[in-house]
Amino acid sequence: MRMLKGLLTGAVLLASVALPMNAFAAGDIVVAIGSEPSTLDPQARDDGGERAVNDNIYETLMARTADGTLVPGLAAAEPTKIDDNTWEFKLREGISFTNGEPFNADAVVASVERILDPALKSEQLAYFGGITGAKKVDDLTVQITTDGPDPILPSRMYWMKMVPPVYSKDPKFGEAPVGTGPYKLEAFNRGQDIVLVANADYWGGAPAIDKVTYRFVGESGTRLSGLVAGEFDVITNLLPEFVESVPKSATVQGLETSLIVLSTDNEVTKDPKVREAMNIAIDRQALADSLFAGYGLPARGQIVNPKAFGFNEALEPYPYDPEKAKQLIEEAGAKGKTINLVGESGRWLKDRELIEAVGQYWAEAGLNVNYQIEEFGQYLTLLFDQQNRPDAVFVVNSDELLDADRPMTQGYLAGSGFSSNSDMDMKAKVEAARTETDVAKRKALYDEVTQAAYDGNYLAPLLNAQDIYGVSERLEWQPRVDAKLIVKEMKVTE
Amino acid sequence: MGRFILRRLGQGLLVVLGVSLVVFVAMRVFGDPAKVMLPLSATVEQRAEFEHLIGLDRPLPEQFVHFVKDLVTLDFGESLWQRRPAMEVVFERLPNTLMLIVSGLGFAILLALPLGAIAALRPGGIVDRVTVIGGLIGLSTPQFWLGLLLIMLFAVNLRILPTSGIGSWQHLVLPALTLALPSLARMTLLVRSQVIDELNQQYVKTARAKGMRFHTVLFGHALRNTLIPFITLAGWEVISALAGYTVVVESVFAWPGLGLTAIQAIQRNDLFLLQAIVFTVAIAIVLVNILLDIIYKFIDPRIKLA
Repeated sequence: MRMLKGLLTGAVLLASVALPMNAFAAGDIVVAIGSEPSTLDPQARDDGGERAVNDNIYETLMARTADGTLVPGLAAAEPTKIDDNTWEFKLREGISFTNGEPFNADAVVASVERILDPALKSEQLAYFGGITGAKKVDDLTVQITTDGPDPILPSRMYWMKMVPPVYSKDPKFGEAPVGTGPYKLEAFNRGQDIVLVANADYWGGAPAIDKVTYRFVGESGTRLSGLVAGEFDVITNLLPEFVESVPKSATVQGLETSLIVLSTDNEVTKDPKVREAMNIAIDRQALADSLFAGYGLPARGQIVNPKAFGFNEALEPYPYDPEKAKQLIEEAGAKGKTINLVGESGRWLKDRELIEAVGQYWAEAGLNVNYQIEEFGQYLTLLFDQQNRPDAVFVVNSDELLDADRPMTQGYLAGSGFSSNSDMDMKAKVEAARTETDVAKRKALYDEVTQAAYDGNYLAPLLNAQDIYGVSERLEWQPRVDAKLIVKEMKVTE
Repeated sequence: MGRFILRRLGQGLLVVLGVSLVVFVAMRVFGDPAKVMLPLSATVEQRAEFEHLIGLDRPLPEQFVHFVKDLVTLDFGESLWQRRPAMEVVFERLPNTLMLIVSGLGFAILLALPLGAIAALRPGGIVDRVTVIGGLIGLSTPQFWLGLLLIMLFAVNLRILPTSGIGSWQHLVLPALTLALPSLARMTLLVRSQVIDELNQQYVKTARAKGMRFHTVLFGHALRNTLIPFITLAGWEVISALAGYTVVVESVFAWPGLGLTAIQAIQRNDLFLLQAIVFTVAIAIVLVNILLDIIYKFIDPRIKLA
């Protein structure tokens, strides 16, 4: 008993010592992200944790406004097309990296060449397919060359971070990044936190928040607790059901579209009536309301993100008509036939719940649904296996470049990505659009493609999810469409 | 003793080699880093290109030669995920897990002996009942839930400890406690039942009858005999924690330990990092086992180290 008393006294003592834990300095914020950056090399990996930090240290030639409009960043103006394979960028004057190296045409050339260098093993090369090199014209003019006409090049340059030409060769570059951005690294304590401080000499003016600390918290429940306890100012990926529990939340239309790819060539699903039935059997509004607490919108009949170039404004979500779906299944003689529905669990928000709900709608329409939920690696094998297409496969497309080319190549182009059709006319159009540099013509091609895929029920687009952030009472911030955590856009009110 | 340790080290080396080999084969047969690490929108050609860059398109025997060379030189190459030497990552994360194990399980081991023994003195008494019920609760509470509960109580409501992270002794309290409680329950219940058994033995009655004082019987005989199974269990707790059992605690508390790193390496198919982790953990487990054998010998000199 005496020992117990001693323990209790100890606990109380411990409590009183530990009290001043949540003392913030004004103008300093703490951001909790889901994973620790693997490296702070901005060109090596495709890693959300790394981006969350480096988006504040590094900048790109092109940038986006909060609602997704492409605008010049380190470039002084929109690039101009010199010929089919060359884009020319004029650069802003008088910018330098925080280690004193100037930002100029040499820096752009070095950045492009570095990311293309096989020695870097860059996972981001997937975003830069087609870029062959860069050439300095004069100190503030640079040309970027491609292996064919590339209308998306300006969007690609919104993804390529500019690195200092000399220092980026240093082996410590991945630990101690140096960019042109509004923040610079103060400390990278592996496993613990990353601290950035404002770059007082930033060309766009010093940011309002002096210091930002990143903490790495994988568990969503723990992130939530930290926000409620006052330890964090911003937490990412707040679950819809927790919105009521946080001091403030901020939402924005996200980059992700969930969808199910329907095979146009398999035994049961090759009948257009069956695919139409599968589409109109789904009550998307109910999915958005029940699974996402309303933080999502029924997808408007296409894989393209509503904020992206190539989005077809004319399309509306597939209607919900369970009676007609049943009737179509009857007419097609598909009642009781088995549909294989391939998916995974845990990679995307509410993925398994979505898959099972959709399967249930199909079952109500008269199909026999066989769920095949796989481990992520195995799932990817099935998703990309162009020889054997599943009847139906769930996937979430994230449209980072906000341009229709990549999602279309993945979802519509026959024989590529996770598409499940053999529509050669559509294939020709997607490929033509890829090299069509006339903006209006390119948009027209995309509208034809999305319309045809809508009519043919090649996909069953489900929801455009919203990104939800938990925010502390004192922080003012409107999240961005591209999901970047740009600290210079945040403000502390106290 | 010296020869014993040498022989066990030799056997341990075989175990470590065997385990490493299994990981080598399994990761290459079942995993494909190019698939998991590139963005979902990467093309088939881009995936093949990446595979070539990281050297996984070479024939398996050639990769195996590299692997053996790595083992001998203790150089496991660069982690695909972290882009730095795999061993560097391991040595950075291992101390965090060890800190958690030493403080958490140390606490449990030190507390389980007196707690179990006190409960055993009066089976059915109030202390005993509280201990048994508490032990059963501790055994059947999922660690994940327990961790979140402790966070809610101490970090969110009372605000006397941080919710998560690492950096000060305050950060250590909740994760260590969460790791300790199920082990504490298991070990306390074991000590209790062992001591009850021992106290009912004939030799205890004889000793008492010839006038030996109770606490001499308790400490000199009953508890000492309890120590052997107790140490077996405590060793098992330490070994399973080393083998990755800490992962639940580490992820709930965002504690940057080796268990969490191993899971992340598996998710990313980072086979080079995983090889380094498995190799290190296998060595640690072999060492703990040897240590346990030596402790047995210390407690019960009749045990032969063979």
